[in-house]
Amino acid sequence: MAHAATHDHHDHHGAPKGFFQRWVMSTNHKDIGTLYLIFSLTMFFIGGAFAMVIRAELFKPGMQLVQPYFFNEMTTMHALVMIFGAIMPSFVGLANWMIPLMVGAPDMALPRMNNLSFWIMPFAFILLLSTLFMPGGGPAGGWTMYPPLSLQGESIAYTIFAVHLMGISSIMGAINIIATILNMRAPGMDLLKMPVFVWSWLITAFLLIAVMPVLAGAVTMLLTDKYFHTNFFNAAGGGDPVLFQHIFWFFGHPEVYIMILPAFGIISEIIPTFARKPIFGYRAMVFAIASIAFLSFIVWAHHMFAVGLPMGAEIFFMYATMLIAVPTGVKVFNWVSTMWGGSMTFETPMLFSIAFVILFTIGGFSGLMLALAPADFQYHDTYFVVAHFHYVLVTGAAFSIMAAAYYWIPKWSGNMYSETWGKIHFWSSVISVNVLFFPQHFLGLAGMPRRIPDYNVAFANFNMISSIGGFWFGASQLIFLGVVIHCVFFSKKKAADRSWEGAKGLEWTVPSPAPFHTFDVPPVIHDDELAHGNTEH
Amino acid sequence: MQDITDIEMEARRKRARRTALIAGGFAVAVFLLSIVQMLKV
Repeated sequence: MAHAATHDHHDHHGAPKGFFQRWVMSTNHKDIGTLYLIFSLTMFFIGGAFAMVIRAELFKPGMQLVQPYFFNEMTTMHALVMIFGAIMPSFVGLANWMIPLMVGAPDMALPRMNNLSFWIMPFAFILLLSTLFMPGGGPAGGWTMYPPLSLQGESIAYTIFAVHLMGISSIMGAINIIATILNMRAPGMDLLKMPVFVWSWLITAFLLIAVMPVLAGAVTMLLTDKYFHTNFFNAAGGGDPVLFQHIFWFFGHPEVYIMILPAFGIISEIIPTFARKPIFGYRAMVFAIASIAFLSFIVWAHHMFAVGLPMGAEIFFMYATMLIAVPTGVKVFNWVSTMWGGSMTFETPMLFSIAFVILFTIGGFSGLMLALAPADFQYHDTYFVVAHFHYVLVTGAAFSIMAAAYYWIPKWSGNMYSETWGKIHFWSSVISVNVLFFPQHFLGLAGMPRRIPDYNVAFANFNMISSIGGFWFGASQLIFLGVVIHCVFFSKKKAADRSWEGAKGLEWTVPSPAPFHTFDVPPVIHDDELAHGNTEH
Repeated sequence: MQDITDIEMEARRKRARRTALIAGGFAVAVFLLSIVQMLKV
């Protein structure tokens, strides 16, 4: 890529000068990406604060700090904020920043819609969080919003409107990503030369536009049941509450993959860089992501084995769920094969990526256990489920986002972060997260139900260990905040354009920090210099 | 240098808008279908 076209001179006069024009009216993919990342980090700490309340209450058996209803509000809000406010927007932020740079596009295809997608989010979350201060309190029926429980609160209308806004934002973001990848790639950047991260987002975006409207439909029917006397889910009026569960999980299971497929893409960028080898089995990685996305549509009822499905349905959903282990296994083996024989170094992004591979696999295995319909009757609604999905979403999705932040922050800020503090953050996080979540497997197997503020004294020790891990993990993330602030504003160590020795791909051909405008003239693509471009060998 | 003319770039943006319209139409259709199929009419 000898002549990657960048317009350095734009760096000095490209960005609007005023704060309002620069950030509120922005149509620049990098600025909007930054806004998404700041927003998601803020939500990560708000959702984390809710988690601290939960773990503090569960530190000892008996009621300690909060009222039961408030505890239920915390479990509900923690999930909604972390899923829709932290994990998803951070991936959209990464997509905004990196996809145009990775495919050689000057910006996202629809920049004004990009601005709207972002600016809907703060209002959605102000609305959602404001319900905590309303008479009667916020939503407390769990993030799944099952009726009739969720319809008991008066704030459900606000929650539903907030969910609608989040959905609209996500769908517009997904449309923009699809339009950008399909239409704005530099000449020569064929689909099967795109970085795996771009592929993972293309597939994720299709999932988003297919299932977010289903969630919107489900919550709209909740709203009409509550306020317009319809009976979609009201058994007394001829409706069926289990129907809501089917519709919700038809959205909910692909949603789980929406939160993990971009993580797969990130890890597939980082491991080759620090193993100094191309990704093993590029095409297999792409097809595995597509397979997982397809399977995500036919496994939803494994969340509802305990509602009393017909035997044939239980067997179908059990086997369909177990099938997902095949493409997921392909990915895990390919990451390990990429590392095998590589000239590896262990900078912070690589440490988080290796931790991802190991700990996500633990979450995957407990998922396989939960997929077994007969066994699920024992595990259902216990802390085993909580342990499982936190291994997948914290050591999976959240760790991949942290890995991505460490990996690309030199490109974003032009500065290198403190490797020492990055490693302190990593080791503190990786130890504490296991102290936090591993004991929850044992609690679940012993029968402790989830979403309760009090529990049998038999569960006391593991809960105390888990809470200590929780406080430790929460405190560790303040180190991350410190590292990011130091890197962006105070670091004296300037980043090279190619910030990592083994990094390949278009994004590393532009200066660090990336200029306000890049690729106004499309870059020349040389296959051998692309991260995964030379896929014929 | 594989240059793209302004005309070509405008054509790409036009194609992108068409892609967005198709994707958006699909999303709206899924939303409406998810409700309509539940109506017992």
